[in-house]
Amino acid sequence: MRGKGLIAAIAVAGVTVALAACGGGGSGGSANTNGNTTSGTATKGGTYRMATQDFGFTGAFDPSAEYLGWAFTLYGNLLIRTLLSYNHTAGAAGNVLVPDLATSVPTPTNNGLTYTFKLKQGVKFGPPVNRAITSKDIEFAMERIATPSVAAQYGFYYQPVIKGMAAFLAGKAKTISGIQTPDDQTIVFNLTRPTGDFLNLMAMPASGPIPPEVGKCFTQAGAYGRDVIASGPYMIQGSDKVNIASCSAIKPMSGYNPTQRLAFVRNPNYDPATDSTKVRQALPDGFVITIDTNAKDIFDKIGAGALEGSPDDPPADIIAQYASNSSKKQFLKTNSADRTDFIYLNTTTPPFDDIHVRKAANFVMDKAALKLAWGGNIEGPVANHIVPDVMYKGGQFDPGDYNPYPSTNSAGDVNAAKNEMKQSKYDANKDGICDSSVCKSIFFMNRSVQAYPKMTPIIQSSLAKIGITLNPRELPTSPAYTQIQTPSKHIPIGANAGWGKDYPDPSTFLRTLFLGSNILSSGNTNYSLIGLTSAKAKQIGALFPATGVPNVDADIDKCTAQTGDARNSCWIALDKKLMETVVPWIPYQFRNNVDLIGPAVTAYDFDQSTGETGYAHVAVDQSKQSQ
Amino acid sequence: MILLALFAPVIAKATGHGPNDLFQSQTLDSFGLPKQGPSGSFLFGADQSGRDVFVRIAYGARISLLVGLVATAIAVVVGTVLGVLAGYRGGWIDTMISRGVDILVSMPLIIFGIGIVAACSGQQGCLNGQLHPGLPLVIVIVALFSWPYVARLVRGQTLSLREKEFVEASRSLGMSETGVMFREILPNLVAPLIVYSSLLIPSNILFEAYLAFLGLGLPSTTPSWGRSLSDATDLLDTAWWLWLFPGLFLVLTVLAFNLLGDGLRDALDPRTGR
Repeated sequence: MRGKGLIAAIAVAGVTVALAACGGGGSGGSANTNGNTTSGTATKGGTYRMATQDFGFTGAFDPSAEYLGWAFTLYGNLLIRTLLSYNHTAGAAGNVLVPDLATSVPTPTNNGLTYTFKLKQGVKFGPPVNRAITSKDIEFAMERIATPSVAAQYGFYYQPVIKGMAAFLAGKAKTISGIQTPDDQTIVFNLTRPTGDFLNLMAMPASGPIPPEVGKCFTQAGAYGRDVIASGPYMIQGSDKVNIASCSAIKPMSGYNPTQRLAFVRNPNYDPATDSTKVRQALPDGFVITIDTNAKDIFDKIGAGALEGSPDDPPADIIAQYASNSSKKQFLKTNSADRTDFIYLNTTTPPFDDIHVRKAANFVMDKAALKLAWGGNIEGPVANHIVPDVMYKGGQFDPGDYNPYPSTNSAGDVNAAKNEMKQSKYDANKDGICDSSVCKSIFFMNRSVQAYPKMTPIIQSSLAKIGITLNPRELPTSPAYTQIQTPSKHIPIGANAGWGKDYPDPSTFLRTLFLGSNILSSGNTNYSLIGLTSAKAKQIGALFPATGVPNVDADIDKCTAQTGDARNSCWIALDKKLMETVVPWIPYQFRNNVDLIGPAVTAYDFDQSTGETGYAHVAVDQSKQSQ
Repeated sequence: MILLALFAPVIAKATGHGPNDLFQSQTLDSFGLPKQGPSGSFLFGADQSGRDVFVRIAYGARISLLVGLVATAIAVVVGTVLGVLAGYRGGWIDTMISRGVDILVSMPLIIFGIGIVAACSGQQGCLNGQLHPGLPLVIVIVALFSWPYVARLVRGQTLSLREKEFVEASRSLGMSETGVMFREILPNLVAPLIVYSSLLIPSNILFEAYLAFLGLGLPSTTPSWGRSLSDATDLLDTAWWLWLFPGLFLVLTVLAFNLLGDGLRDALDPRTGR
């Protein structure tokens, strides 16, 4: 998923585009540093006003296709209910699945292959549909995910898992055989393999109900985005004015103009009795988000009480201004965004095809300096492994102080790095300095937008201590991604990527990023090419070293099939294995999400599941709002 | 400026600060924001990466001069050859060259420049690996968009010169066309070319700064005034020294070359009153 303001990774595979999310993290991964705050009395009413420089939607706000983290937040908190959901709160508690449209979180049967959901009675679509939500509406949403023209950007999660979905996608079946709706309140999913994170997929917005009578009118990518039918406590303003008598009569809802404004008002058909206040409190009467291309103006307005917040990241000087002022500090909210920032090392290109060089690079890197380039401690803790701690069960990585490449103050350990380099084939005289020509002027990819360029001299300076010199190339975000996502480009090292979860399960890091079979010729997010085979290397134009490439596919498959504590332990073990015996990255930061809120906000929470503000639990005091 | 560029390594040695040496602990606050303004140890302050601004300005002068001079030289050579050809030969050669010039002049420079940089941005570069992002590419882009103006000027001058009596005389004495172009016409173009070049250099220095400002061309580790200005935009309120000094040097340099151009025109153009 792509985070608002923090652009993560892009994976393009045919019609599938995967964008990895972003966010921020608490200290050491125990997420919440300043999350759930109430200042004053949280009461109903008022409008929560926000501004952003750009909506940044990846799928035109069509829930079947949309892959922006902030859009997930709007859907889950305000607009769309799904079979399961989260409490939209900060910390590990916000990553726990809870029932939403379903009466309970089901336990799988048939050896983990069948999931049966019972829907709550009395949940209705908002205007203009105004009827009860049935299992057929969920089934229709699933079919829409498997409709190529809709371009569902994370359909790859569902297609291999739900029986018959691949056949439907290929046009070989008219229905998805693995989905049955025996009655209006029951939906059954039959899977192709035991999938421990299947329930998380049922909390993603694309799986939310879509009324076929409206959805059938929108068969192209993004088209439904301006007429999304509400099932949550809010609807897009103007929904009630839309005529759905025929497809040709449907016009865009007035509350959403992609270049100006997105407004939500209360959904009159929403019955709080069918929901939990832990999931959604729905206190404000409405939410309005306007486009303002001037970032300074946005944050000045928030400070003056003319806005309540923004999904955009506050500029560094604004953060410093608030964080260093005791009376203003309360308006700055910092939480783990469940995102890891890292430098990737391509295991197929010299000198990083040698694990000793990769380990030496980890030892020598000045992570403290990299963090300072990002804004210091407020931007998140130092990362010493791959998956942010808060994504593991209970928010704990075991052990909490795990660090396979320790150094004083995380500033890098040159001696340890040299000792590691001495074992490398690229250090002929064994002095701890790489003396091979492959270590000189190595192509290094980075972004040209701040704060990435600030890292370039730090990385250059750190690696120079072990004889590795870089030839930096800095490009805007998209071209830089295109370069590193194309294995035939043979980019040896890059710092332009980051990764955030799609849903709260370590598999969205460890499976998505390191499974050999996920390697693509373009849009590839397995940047280090872990699990590459010689045949695939030939097919996609990648290099393949004589010593081979590390492979963790078996570990990933083993963890994927597990559930509960065993699953959690399995992913932790794999995270450690990757750091110690594979070494694909130099992780350096678990990024925080930093929100600035206005003085009229009387209740604030952070939605850990999406890494953005938890709009389901915010409140405003109208008397403190200025215009 | 030339002295600054020439003595950049000496300045670095004297201050003990290389252009990419990092002094984060001394110069950045706990939020990574620059706190070190101009002082005895950092004459022009330190930037957001903890580097010495003065040293980087000195090294940046080298880039500006190099791009300005080399790109202008390429533009003058190409523009002169094509301009003389078009103006002297006329006919379809003139039509081809003039339309080519019209097309290039009508292109939005920055957008086209961005496109070229993007096309060459891979590790393999472009033109079969002959051109890679970096200083050479920036010079090529700047020269590419500069030569048409030289060609236009030269063509116009050549059209006028070819009708002069001394050219007629050379032709009637049996001098070849190439001889006429290079022995008779070209020497008479030197003065306007010198004047125009002196005005083109600051324009090309600015073009490099535009590209750098947009984050194109040179990496952040290569000191460049335009890049320094671009990096300072987020900190206009908090770190004035980040934009003031690179901006000042850019303005002064462009101004100096413009004044030089004016002076040369006064000295070399007989039609200008003294």
